[in-house]
Amino acid sequence: MSKKLVTHINNCLTIRSLLIRSLYKAGSGHPGSSLSLIEMLYHIYRFEKNFKLILSKGHGVPGQYAVMKFFNQIDDKNFYNLRKINSKAQGHPDRRNFKKIDASTGALGQGLSIAIGYAIAQEYQKKSGYVYCILGDGELQEGQIWESLMFLNSKYLKKLIIIVDHNKFQNEDLISKTLPMPMIEKKWQSFGFKVFKIDGHDLNSLDQAVKKVKNTKKPSVIIADTIKGKGISFMENSGHWHSAKITDEFYIKAMKELNDKKK
Amino acid sequence: MTKKNKSIRDVFGESLVKFGKKNKKIFAISPDLKSATKLSLFKKEIPERFIETGIAEANAIGIASGLAMSGLKPVVASFGSFLSGKNIEIRVSIGFNNAPVVLVGTHGGLIGPDGPTQAGLQDISVMRSIPNIKIFQPASAIETTEILRHCLNLKVPSYIRISRQANKEIYKKDYKFIEGKAYIIKNDMKDGVIFTSGNMVERCLDAANMMKEKYKIGVVNIPSIKPLNTSSILKIISKTKKVFSVEDHSINGGLGSTILELISEHNVKKPLYLHGLKDFTQSGGVEELYKYYNLDGAGIAKFLSKKLLI
Repeated sequence: MSKKLVTHINNCLTIRSLLIRSLYKAGSGHPGSSLSLIEMLYHIYRFEKNFKLILSKGHGVPGQYAVMKFFNQIDDKNFYNLRKINSKAQGHPDRRNFKKIDASTGALGQGLSIAIGYAIAQEYQKKSGYVYCILGDGELQEGQIWESLMFLNSKYLKKLIIIVDHNKFQNEDLISKTLPMPMIEKKWQSFGFKVFKIDGHDLNSLDQAVKKVKNTKKPSVIIADTIKGKGISFMENSGHWHSAKITDEFYIKAMKELNDKKK
Repeated sequence: MTKKNKSIRDVFGESLVKFGKKNKKIFAISPDLKSATKLSLFKKEIPERFIETGIAEANAIGIASGLAMSGLKPVVASFGSFLSGKNIEIRVSIGFNNAPVVLVGTHGGLIGPDGPTQAGLQDISVMRSIPNIKIFQPASAIETTEILRHCLNLKVPSYIRISRQANKEIYKKDYKFIEGKAYIIKNDMKDGVIFTSGNMVERCLDAANMMKEKYKIGVVNIPSIKPLNTSSILKIISKTKKVFSVEDHSINGGLGSTILELISEHNVKKPLYLHGLKDFTQSGGVEELYKYYNLDGAGIAKFLSKKLLI
């Protein structure tokens, strides 16, 4: 992948521009939570075949739509009517509207269980393709997540790839100021997981971590260290931009920054 | 007199094994209650398609959703109170995703010494409020098997409420379950008709028989609470003077509310009286409880008699 790394990095910048434009037109949404997801989503869409994807942190779906837009899986009309009435691009993932949205999510905590169901089915039906589940780090506060981890500790599912978007923020504030989880790796390890902690914006690291998970014959998780609002300086590490309206002024500023970064 | 049959949950457990042996898509999921729900039979016979989640109903619901959206046919069984308590998980993972899971809520109604926390007393109300989910309740062994067969063929989610008791068989072996149909069990309904379902059918028949010298009361079994065939209900109501609903469930949002909504929608000018539970119940013997809450034959007859005098 390294030879083409510059291309992939530029693609992710293009996706971020698409995302910002759709959120600007929407007038609401979750910029910060979507921006931290871009590389992991791009990696899946670009390099996986026949995958299933459960975006358990459903509020990050504008990021998924932007990646889908880049790969021509959503048309302009729906994409640029994000969060508007009768648009396929609803505020949270809605499988009624897309064959390639594998689960409607939005109420946090539920996606991993659904992904487990898919992964059991993939094995039982002898289907090819991996089942990805992307969790938010704030979402780990939901009890159902730990029900799922206890289950996975008792049943290894070789088709399941779990990625935690570890962007350190939740709806109201920093996680560390809400319910701190200082030993996130140890929490997972104590549930029997092999943990791969990586830079979630580094495509090479993501690529290696996914390969490692596929070759590890026990429950594994990728904890992707990410930056909330990644790619746009004034949105980075800002709780305000978890969900905030992108005004004209900020739209122009954000688009300029993204264009300037392109190589 | 029809003979006493097996308990509804036993029939459910045995029928699921029978269907599971034929249909390799069927999975059984149990949150640590396989002995009580009789999924234990499935585990014994088809262990490779049995999933134990431990005491984790939310995870069980999610796993079932993923299996169902992959084209498999999962059946989750737990106490109706515990399953329906997972409202947001069922609402999103199953309802909104329209994942064709079969949810089986056992221990519906008054269950005995374990008391109200373990009893399904509001489960139908919760399930009725969620779009896409169909709701059924069998009154006998034969009906249990047929409803289960029906749900296993649905392309949408369903909830089956079953009691832990044994009910007299009211149907013959050639019984055919038709979704939405109201089954008239006792037709002579000049003075009144009772719409009821599940375990209460037998008790309502007892009540109608107790009152037969004075009143002609019909009994209609509603195994299909959602959807329900409107025209058949209206036709039945047209043949009687007063309408009753009887359920071992909260009167807020249950079978009675269903009939009430239907009557209101069609501007029917006949009185409807809802009989059922209004509060959290308590521990006690099963029959003792049905008597205490006026849901045994005598109690139902007492309720009807008062209303028939109005």
